[in-house]
This record gives sequence, structure tokens and C-alpha cells, in this order.
Amino acid sequence: MSEVVKLQLIGLCVIGFGTVLLLFVKAQFARVIGFVSIVLGLFALVALAVPQMASLPPAEESINIAEIKTPTDMATIGQKIFFSKGQCALCHSIGPSESARCPDLKGIGSKLSREFIFESLTEPQAYIYLDYRHEGIPKEYPARMPHINKNPIALSKNEILSVIAFLQQMSGEPVSVNPSELDLPRATPAPVKAADAGALAMAQAR
Amino acid sequence: MTARLRNQQPGNRREAANDIMVNDEVRTMRHQGRIVTNHGRQLAGRVALLAGCAALFGLAGMPDVALAQESASAPTAYRDIPYIGSRNLVWIIAQLHLLLAGFVLGVPIFAWLCEIVGWKSGDKRYDKLAKEFTKLLTSSYATTALFGGILLFMLIGFYPKLMTYLTDIFFPSFLVYCALFLVETATLYLYWYGWDAMAEGNGKKFHIFLGFLLNVFAFFIMIVPNSWATFQASPVVLAEGSDFARAWAATWNPTWWPVNVHRLIANVVLGGYICGAYAGIRYLSAKSQEERYHYDWMGYVGNFIGVFGLLPLPFAGYWLMREIYQYNQQMGITLMGGFLSWLFILQAMLIGVLFLGSNYYFWLGITHRIPGSETQYRKPIMAMLIILLLCLAVWMTPHSLVASLAEAQQMGGTHHPLLGVFGVMSAKMTVANLMVLVTFMSFIMYWRAGKQDTAGWAKVAKAVIGAVLALAGIAVIVLGVWGYFVPAIIRINYFSTSQVGIVIFVMLTITPLTALLLKSAKTTTEMVWGKMPPRAGYALVLNAVMVILLMTLMGYARSSSRVHWHVYGVMRDSSQYAFSPALGYAATLMALNTFLFCMLVAFIFWVATMGDKAKATAGVKGPVEPGRIPAMAGGAQSLDGAAIDSPEANRPV
Amino acid sequence: MKGVLVRPIFLTVFIYLFLKFIVPNLPHSAPLPSSLIFLYLMLTTAGIVIFATLSGASKDAFFGPMLRFLTGESGGAFGGARYLVLALFPLLVGWQTYGSTASSDAPPAENRTIHPAPPGEYTGLSNPVPKTPDNIMYGKGLYASRCSPCHGNFDGKGFAAPGFTPPPANFKDPTTIAMLQESFLFWRIKKGGVGLPVEGMPWKSAMPRWELELSDEDIWKVIMGEYDGAGQKPRTWDESE
Repeated sequence: MSEVVKLQLIGLCVIGFGTVLLLFVKAQFARVIGFVSIVLGLFALVALAVPQMASLPPAEESINIAEIKTPTDMATIGQKIFFSKGQCALCHSIGPSESARCPDLKGIGSKLSREFIFESLTEPQAYIYLDYRHEGIPKEYPARMPHINKNPIALSKNEILSVIAFLQQMSGEPVSVNPSELDLPRATPAPVKAADAGALAMAQAR
Repeated sequence: MTARLRNQQPGNRREAANDIMVNDEVRTMRHQGRIVTNHGRQLAGRVALLAGCAALFGLAGMPDVALAQESASAPTAYRDIPYIGSRNLVWIIAQLHLLLAGFVLGVPIFAWLCEIVGWKSGDKRYDKLAKEFTKLLTSSYATTALFGGILLFMLIGFYPKLMTYLTDIFFPSFLVYCALFLVETATLYLYWYGWDAMAEGNGKKFHIFLGFLLNVFAFFIMIVPNSWATFQASPVVLAEGSDFARAWAATWNPTWWPVNVHRLIANVVLGGYICGAYAGIRYLSAKSQEERYHYDWMGYVGNFIGVFGLLPLPFAGYWLMREIYQYNQQMGITLMGGFLSWLFILQAMLIGVLFLGSNYYFWLGITHRIPGSETQYRKPIMAMLIILLLCLAVWMTPHSLVASLAEAQQMGGTHHPLLGVFGVMSAKMTVANLMVLVTFMSFIMYWRAGKQDTAGWAKVAKAVIGAVLALAGIAVIVLGVWGYFVPAIIRINYFSTSQVGIVIFVMLTITPLTALLLKSAKTTTEMVWGKMPPRAGYALVLNAVMVILLMTLMGYARSSSRVHWHVYGVMRDSSQYAFSPALGYAATLMALNTFLFCMLVAFIFWVATMGDKAKATAGVKGPVEPGRIPAMAGGAQSLDGAAIDSPEANRPV
Repeated sequence: MKGVLVRPIFLTVFIYLFLKFIVPNLPHSAPLPSSLIFLYLMLTTAGIVIFATLSGASKDAFFGPMLRFLTGESGGAFGGARYLVLALFPLLVGWQTYGSTASSDAPPAENRTIHPAPPGEYTGLSNPVPKTPDNIMYGKGLYASRCSPCHGNFDGKGFAAPGFTPPPANFKDPTTIAMLQESFLFWRIKKGGVGLPVEGMPWKSAMPRWELELSDEDIWKVIMGEYDGAGQKPRTWDESE
């Protein structure tokens, strides 16, 4: 017996129980229980009459660095990181959006160099505009951007490079990041320390 | 289960270390050497309103866990229990807690409104009704907190990782929540125990002010946990900052206010309809004429407040949906056109029954409470019924139809070429507006029934009312049809909001106009209370069940829309329960939850009214003998055989 | 007395006939699936019962004849009919039960989600290709060579279309691409039928995985050409577009 049939049987039993109560019991409260049972049983049966379909989570993929051959592969991975682990899409949109609270990243890959993007991600306060709209000394806009290479997001250098590749691709630019720049996996199983990766990346970027 | 999950983790870890990039469709997040996996998702959604003590335990228990992140073995991410499964258990407990919480928040609004009406109009019945319901508050408040506590233990036990994560973010608001609970409890005690002491003059004013405070605190008690639940659905990035700043940023997430407003209104609806159901049950088992009179009237008030809340509810829901869609296309499509689209057909059925049930009760009121009005109102009632049914037919028509292979081939896919146009938002929005309009007309008709206009301008006013209603209906339909031919954004931003605006405009103009008309009208037929047939009582019960089912259904929708994430896009659910169950399975659990909740509420009502019955028994003289005291919601055995005078009463409806 | 019952029965039968035989013959229509007819008939029945039970008198007039018939008070010719009904009812239940449990070679009714939710990484993309007449024309060219064999002149009626169940999407229908964002189309074109989640039943779609043949940029151009050719606009949050 399939699960659906079992549940349908339960639903029918509940309806039967309610009908028996309504037919043979005079106590008003019991009758109301019978009535409610019938309603709930019908509800379940209606829901069970629709073809049933559970929604399965997508398989957890893992990415093997050895399989990354072209800048387009990197952009594909960057796309996934942009919309999930990197949490970029929680604030930024690509293209106009009412809900985005931070700059629209459409075309950013053609406006900014990859080095500048890297710096913006890892040291958001390094280059910021000054606010002159008041008397006295101009104030710095504190960027609301978190350090992407540190907790809680903590992308590795490889991941950041992939995101840059994705941003460039989304701007219709040729991707200037090359897979050969990626760090190879270390022999030790210890995960990359985010800070190290950041420093290393900074050095390379400059 | 626990052991198995633990064993898996070192493996995961190695894998993660090997991949240079942790891909992340999936969320194995590396936080400097620790693997953060996830937590409970169904339940997590329902973390919704953790009760007060819940938060307290959270404070005591969680920071330790958080600090343990660097320990050698990865901390447990999930636990499970055999047979029922952690998700189902948390589902049931969380849903019961949430329903109780809705009830506990809805009843004070309801009671406070009744108290004001009683105070302003001098009608003691309202004051008595308000007091009767406030009495229920103390025991249901405790039950809610109890379930909140159980829920918190379960969440900590089953989903330690998620709870650690949420505690890290929301710790300050846990403290605020505790403080709110203290003041809410104090206010509730003052409000309830001070009722008789503050019955007159300035005392009454202060008491009403207390009721206001009670509702304000209750509102904040609702919105604080809402922020936890909505953060899971629509998280924001948390930059560095103080704990407080982070919690504040997380609280102001995009769906927080839409959910707050939607839930506030829904709580009023729940409070009203449960009051109606209670009155319905008491009415069914009433023995004396006074009781029939009283509970008939109470049912009317409950139904009225329920409908009153129901009218704006679709609009609040629409706003919420819009924010969700805008926040993320994936969630929006999952809900509206994707995996959950059939859930919304089911929702349409429930709402349809609710609208029909509420209108049916109004119509029964007209034909039974106002003698001789039946023939006069039969035609308009039939017209309204037909419009309601046509609207429902459109609302229930799915976009993707259930069809056999042969049928699908004939149609050319599972979209019907002609009726498929009913399946999209433009049509649904239009009929929802029309149904609200019709229900409003029902109410106006009920209001005016049995009265004769005397004012000279009555004819003009009636013509204006008719014209406004007709024009509004036409305008709503025209906008709905036109909506197919404009870009989606225009429809969403202008057409749909205009439709809502038109309906609200109609309500705001016709209500005062009718009130003015009735001021000068003379009553030709007095309302007769206590004459309603038993099916009116069952209609009230049906409405309450529909509202509760709707709340459980939408709880499932909200949780499922996050798909396989605990915190959408941030923390993936990697437990064995990461899938969304099929609709039938979910509906069975919803029905179970609804039944349990009804039983709980019946028990609370029974406990709370036990004292009254004892008093009544002791004090009864005359027509009602001790053995025939009305059955309370709990139904006393001794009454089983008691016959009810009307022969109709024993017939199932 | 029977007169009260005749009208509801007549109404129900009329609605059934209307849905079964008249609606399918309207222009651009097709036969309704039985699930939908059942839904509408249930609504009709609910309406009839609600209207009949509005007052005590109308309720008795409606249910009275039925009760009298079933309890045998009607007498006369109805007495025999009553035994017939009482005998046929269990048979009807049995037939229903048999019908719903017997194994059959017909595939089960399906509930395919035509526009399932895209994966997270496709939800926030926007078209990077500027909307110039050249690009649109280029997209239409690609459309003509790759898409039109099945999707036809944007109406889902290409020459290869009759070979597919479900048929290719009709882009001129306002409930298809006009309801969706460009990024949704990008996902569907790039990943094809096999990229659908399980509720979209990937095994039922014949859409190829165009990422194997077309570059991302070309796919974006096809999307622009498709919207332009079908006379639709994508769903967007930007009013200026």
C-alpha cells in the first residue's frame, strides 16, 4: 500500500468516525467534534487527490579544481558563489531592483578593473567617497560592505577570483581572470585560512 | 541518528578541504576550520513566536555552544527521534504554539474593542463579553508559554547549529523579548484582576488604557519573533558592528513588516472566529431562552469582527507576496507558479468556504432574526451567491491543471487554452476584490435589514450607493482584464493597487453614508435573537476551522518557500528532512494540528468556565434545574440525553 | 412538492452539459479535464445547498421530498424506486472503489509544474547585452535557426511541434514569458529540459541544453529577439524598461 493510499484511508476513517458521531450521538459537543472531523477529513482527502510531488533539494555538488579549464568555467562557479555562499545577492542586484540596498552591479565588470574589485571585496574601506554635503571637513562614507574574505562569509581567494570572473562575464567583458591563478589544493587537510588567502591575494593583485 | 550524523562530518570536512572552492549551491560553509552545517527548516520557520521562557532558556544554554566552535570534533548539527521524526514533532509543537499565540494576541484586540464599544454605547453585554474573553486569556497565555518552552527545547535539541547561528545574531532581541514578556504579563494581570475594581468613571478609562497597553506590548511580542522567522526567509548581510547593530539590521529584513501586518490582521480574524465558534457551540447546547439569546448575539459579534478583519487580509497577503517575489524570484515562483501552486488552489478553496460561510451566516441572520424578510431578500441573496460562486470558480481554477495524458493532449499541455487565463495573478486578484465587495454588500444589507428610511434624501443616497458599488465592480473587472495586456510591473504597481484602492474607497464612502441613513431610519422589524437554526452554529464552527486550517496551510507555505535552506541563501539544510513533503502528507499533518488546537482551546474554555457553572448551579432557581445547566465547550456527560426543544436541533446540518 | 427539486437538478445538468459540450467548442478552446468539471459541479452543488437552506421553509421544501423518499413515506410508485436506490447505492460505492483501485494501463494523471522555480544562481541575473536593433535582429536570426522548428513563429506551432507532448511553449500567450523575468528564460534555454527540478518533470521536456551550442551572450540575444518577436515584455521591477 502506498503512503498516499494509507493517508487516504486514514482520512476516510476520520470522516466515517465523524459521520457516526453525527448519526448516533446526541451530545452537542460530540456532534461538533464529528462535524469538525468530517471537515478535516475532507480537507486531507482533497489535498491527497492532487498528484503528489515532493520537492527534493538539489544534489550537493563539489567542485574539483582540476576540472576548471577555462575562464568561463570560473565564471560559472562565481555565479553560484555570488548567489549563495558569497551572499552578494542579499544586498546587490545585477540590474535594477527595488529591493537592492546597495549599488547595482550591472556592468561593474567593465567599469572597474579586476584589481579594484578585489580590493573592494577584501578591504571595503580602502577607497571610499567623501561626503561634502555639509559644513566643515568632508566625512567618509563608511562602506556597509563586509570584508568578504573574513568571517562570517570568508570566501577564499579562489572563490573571490571566480566571482570577479562572473562579474566580468555579466558585463559582457572578456574575463581577465585565468584558471592558472588559482591556488592548488594543499596537501594538508586544513582549510585555507581566510586571512592568509586574503593577504596572498592582495599581494598578487598588486 | 546522532551518531551517524557525527560520523559523517569528518568525511565532509576532508572533502571540503580537498575542493579548493567549496561550491555552494550547497552550503558547507567553512568558517576558519569549522564546518557549519545547518538546522531545522520546517520548524525553523515556525520558530516564529517562541514563548518567553523559551528565550530565557536560549540565553542560558546557547552561548556555550557557540564558543565550542573550534573544538576538535565537529559539533552535532542535527538530532532526530525515531518513528515520528524530528521535523514532524517540531512541526506539530511549533504550529500549536503559533496558533495559540495567534489566539492569545487576537483575543486582547477583540476584548479591547468590545470593551470600548460597551463603554461608549453603555451596552453592558459588550463589557460582559469582553470580560468573558479576558478570563480565557490568563489560562491560554500560560499554555502558549508552555508550548513555546517545549518548542525551544526541541529546537535546541534537534537543530543545535541553527539555533547557535540565530542566537549569535539575535541575542539582543532575545533580551528585549524577555523584558516584553515581563511587562505584558504584569499588564495582563492588572487588566484581568482589575476589571471589576475599575468598572466605573476614571477607573474605566484607566482600564481601557491598560487594555491599550496590553495590545501594544502584545504587538511587540509578536513582531520580535517575527523578525527571527522572516530573517530566515529573507536574510540580509550582516556587516561588522556591535551585537545590537547586527540584531537590528537583521530585524529590518524585507519581509518583516509585511508579515507583521498580515499576522496582526489574521490574529484579529482568528480571535473573532474562535469567539464565534465558541458561541456557536454554546448556542447549540443552550437550554434556556436567555442563553440562546446571549450566545446568538455573541456569535453575531464574533462573526462580525472576523469578517471585519477578513476584508483587508487579502490585501496584506498580496503585499507580503509581492515583497517575497521581489526579494527573490526563486521564492516567488516556488510559491505562485511552481511547486506550491496547488497549495494556493487549496488555499482558495478554504478562503472560498470561509467567505461563503461568513456570508451564509449573515444571510441566515437576515432570514431568521428579522421575521418576514425572507421573500424580500431572496433575490439579492441569490445574486450575491452567484457572484461569489463565479468568483470562486475563477479563483480555484489552477494554471497547471491536473489532467490525464489524453486530456492533456487534447488541451495541448496542462494549460487550458481558454480557462488558463484564470490561472494567473491578474484574475485571482480581481475575483478576490470582487468577493470582498460582495461580502461588504452582505454586511450592509444585514445592517439595513428591517429598517425603513425616513430621510428625504434617502432615495438619492440609495442610488449613490448602488452606483458606487456597480461602478466599483466594473472598474475592478476592467482593470483585471486590462492587466493581461500591460507589463507585469505596471499591473503590480498600478492596476492591482488601484483595485484595492477602489474597494477601500467603496467601504469608506458607503459605511458612513449608510450610518447616516440609518440614523434617521425607523425600525420596522426588531431583530429577534435566539431564533437561529442549528446550522448557523455549525457555520460558525466551520468558519473557525477554516481560519485555523488556513493558518496551518500558510505556515507550511512559508516554510516550504525557503526550499532547502534554513536561512535562505545562507545556511543550507543538510538534514534528511531537507525536502519539502508532498501536499497530501502536509495536509494530513495540518488537519491533525488543527484538530489538536481545537481540542486545546475547548479544554481552555472548559477550564475557564467551570467556575461559572458551579456558581450557576448553586444559584439556579426556577426554569433551569441543576442537571440541565448548559454543556460547556467540554460537554458534560450528564447532558448527553438532554433533549433540545426544537426538533431541528438534533438533525445534522 | 417535487417541483423544488427539479430546478436544482436541471441547473446541475445544464452546467455539466455546458462545460462538457459548449465550452470546448468556443473558439480557441479545448475540452476541459474531468478534474475541473468536477470542481465546478461541486461549486454548483454547494451553491444550491446554501440557497436551499437559507430559511426553515425552503430547507424543508428542499430536503423534505428526499427524506420522505428515503424513508418510504412517499409511497406509491416511489416505493419501488426507493428499493432500487437502496440496492444500487452499495453497487455504486463498490464500482467507485473498484474504479479507483483497479490497476490500469493508463498513465496516472499528472501535475506538472510548467514554470518551476529556477535555481538560486539564476534568480538575479540581468541581460548584459545592450538592447540595440542589431542585437535584437541577431537574436531573431538565432531564433529562426534554432528555436522556430518547434516554437514556430513565437506561437508554439513550429513544424516539429506536433511531435511533442507537452507541446512547445507559446510565447504569445500572456501567461508564459510575459509573466517571467529574463533570467528565468536564460536558465531554461541554457540548461534545457534536463535542467528542470523534479516537480517540472525533466523527463517530459524535449528542450535541448543550449549551453552546449550557444554562448551566454547569444542566449541573451535570443531572449531579446524572442520577447520582441512575440510582442511581450519581460517581468521586471523597473518601470522605465
